[in-house]
Amino acid sequence: MTRSRAWLVVPLAAVWAVAAWLLWRSSLPAYHLPHLDQHALFPAGALHRAEHFSDVERLFWLGKTIIELAVLGVFVRYGVRWMRESAAGPIGTGMLLGMIGFAFVWAAELPLAVLTVWWRHRYGLSGSYLDATVTNWFALGAQFVLLCVALAIVMGLARARGIGERWWLLAAPVFIGLRTLLAFIAPWLLGGRAFHAPYVAQLQRAEHVHVPVRVLSGFSEPNAAATGLGASRRVFLWDPIVRPPFTPRMDRFVLAHEFGHLAHNHIWKSLGWYALFAFPLALLLALATRGRGGMGVPEAVPLAIFVYVVLQLAALPLQNVVTRHLEAEADWSALRATHDPTAGRQLFRLFASETLEDPSPPWWDYVFLENHPTLLQRIEMTQYYATSVRERGHP
Amino acid sequence: MHDPHPVRLVVEDDYRRNRLTVFFRLILAIPHFIWFFLWTVWVTLTSIVNWVISIFTGRPRPWFHRLMCGYVRYQAHLGAYVSLVSDPYPGFMGEAGSYPVDIQLPEEPVTQRRWTIFFRGLLFIPAFLVSSTLAGLSGGNLGSSRGKTRNSTGGGTLLLVCAFLGWFATLARGRMPKGLRDAGAYALGYTAQTTAYLLLVTDRYPNADPTEMLVAVTDRPPRHPVRVVGDPYDLRRSRITVFFRLLLALPHLIWVTLWAILAILAAIAQWFVTLVRGVPAGALHRFISAYIRYRLHVTAFLLLVANPFPGFTGAPGVYPLDLEVDGPQRQNRWKTGFRLVLAIPALIVDAALGGALLIAAVLTWFYALIKGSAPWGLRNLSAYALRYDAQTNGYLFLVTDAYPHASPLEGEDTTEA
Repeated sequence: MTRSRAWLVVPLAAVWAVAAWLLWRSSLPAYHLPHLDQHALFPAGALHRAEHFSDVERLFWLGKTIIELAVLGVFVRYGVRWMRESAAGPIGTGMLLGMIGFAFVWAAELPLAVLTVWWRHRYGLSGSYLDATVTNWFALGAQFVLLCVALAIVMGLARARGIGERWWLLAAPVFIGLRTLLAFIAPWLLGGRAFHAPYVAQLQRAEHVHVPVRVLSGFSEPNAAATGLGASRRVFLWDPIVRPPFTPRMDRFVLAHEFGHLAHNHIWKSLGWYALFAFPLALLLALATRGRGGMGVPEAVPLAIFVYVVLQLAALPLQNVVTRHLEAEADWSALRATHDPTAGRQLFRLFASETLEDPSPPWWDYVFLENHPTLLQRIEMTQYYATSVRERGHP
Repeated sequence: MHDPHPVRLVVEDDYRRNRLTVFFRLILAIPHFIWFFLWTVWVTLTSIVNWVISIFTGRPRPWFHRLMCGYVRYQAHLGAYVSLVSDPYPGFMGEAGSYPVDIQLPEEPVTQRRWTIFFRGLLFIPAFLVSSTLAGLSGGNLGSSRGKTRNSTGGGTLLLVCAFLGWFATLARGRMPKGLRDAGAYALGYTAQTTAYLLLVTDRYPNADPTEMLVAVTDRPPRHPVRVVGDPYDLRRSRITVFFRLLLALPHLIWVTLWAILAILAAIAQWFVTLVRGVPAGALHRFISAYIRYRLHVTAFLLLVANPFPGFTGAPGVYPLDLEVDGPQRQNRWKTGFRLVLAIPALIVDAALGGALLIAAVLTWFYALIKGSAPWGLRNLSAYALRYDAQTNGYLFLVTDAYPHASPLEGEDTTEA
């Protein structure tokens, strides 16, 4: 790296850090969560069940990750030989190589996908062998289409006259734009039916968020999500969460949590974080593929895919830190809007038995897999809120 | 490359048809239908005996062989008469050389591998599926499953469509159009090979290659302005891309759909231009030609007629199965004005060939996964179907006013596809 480039990196890193600090700011108080004993909060049987289930689930994730890296690693070495199966130009050939790479990954992961269903069935959770094998093809097809769009953008820019190796400077904004567009239109694509409950209007007033709430059918596990930007903002509830054993009080807490995401502009913040990651990731990708001729040639595609997967894996802990922070703020917002820590505590305890989520996972699981605070941490927050209100009269 | 198939189609028909017998063709054939039914029952029973004996001896008895040969011939004669592939009223005994559309069969029974005799009923299934899409029948003994198979392929049968359209054309002109006659003859020839295979007349598997089937037909159709060119021996297929073929084609399917919207708009504009000037606009002609070529590339890739992943631009000369399109020529204004209506018969034939194309693709998928190559016959049947599809699109999108030619044979000046 030349001296001038080194000097350029410093201000850019400073800008990145300032932007990250601005995005990190939240309404969360400077709090210290009380340490609670999970054995006192969860029935021993439920705890053991959740832990045992999660232990093996984690192994599946580890297995899938190792398989993915191994297959793509081999594909980096031998993938180029499939170029002879293409009569397309460089971009089309790159697309073919990318799709074949992911096809190999899909095939290699198939046994684990079947095992996962078997494991879920053992614990009475939903899962379909048909979905894990045949219907899964649709997901692979969607992945192919997205991959082709991404490669068309990247390779098209890398091949464009006057851009070349600086493709990443333009590609990152393009992907940010596409992500923003997707965030905007996604709520309209999801559909769902309207959700009516007496507490909805009260929560909307409390959090200053006046958006429609819709229920999505066809899901087997309880969940909820806040999506959209501006006029497209919506809150979606997966239908199991509006049915027993979940109570209206718990649903009210869930809804307040999702309104909290919208009230604190978490969708925009997520896009901001995406933008912050997109530039360095694209730069690293450009640097990594330079040895194979850069992203303008199909020979670089197998390596690019491998590097992309590795970078995603490496960025996962940092991304999880961010999302856990946003989720914590939404939980806090829900507590302030509902003043009902008991409902929150009951909700999180129920999650452990309904979804078999480990309330207190091992550190590496926490680092790589947990994009929400753990159930124990979320219960500790409700406890902190209750104690604060009791002792100081306000949170 | 191949030894000639022992079951060969002979076509000595002169296209002339008697309008009166054509008009009453189905009614005139009623005695034959009754006779065919009786013969089918008899052949069904005796073929079981023949099968059992042949498993032990490895060779059908001469008496059975003669019976089966007569049945195969009679089936072809009757099929040709009913579907207007030929004109004279056929005899009832299926005698060799007695009819303008005939089947040459081995005179003596041949020794066959016993295991292929034992499993003949299973081995016959792929050929039966192809035969169902071409002729809708494969021996009267399988008549009960005909309709079911036809429905499942989504397209009508080629022979049925040719007979239906040929009926109107013949009543009007007193001649059977060559394209429909050739296509019908091809379907009958393949059905004869399939039936002969099932009835142990031969152990040679039916060959779906249309050019080889119609080798005896000497008069070629005229050169068409929209032609498919390619190497018929390009049979290698990559197993991995074959296995994931449908998914790999997804980006192309999205792209071709988007392109089709623009192509339709361009064709509407071209319609006005051609109607006014009598000659299509050059820029629109190039754009639409590129779309039709790209569509051919994508379909060929998706349905395993060609191996490599195609490009996205429809550029000529880069794909193993390619489209040659002549430049814009003067077009008849009447044909331009009523193009949509005039295209309907071609679209019907195209749909019938589409059924065969789909079945061929499914069978090729299994075959290519095992052997790493496409079967010669099915590849060339598919190339024929794609050529007709491209010509239909060329006609519909005003690239040319030359009507699509349904004959499986290539035009006179054209390299084989």
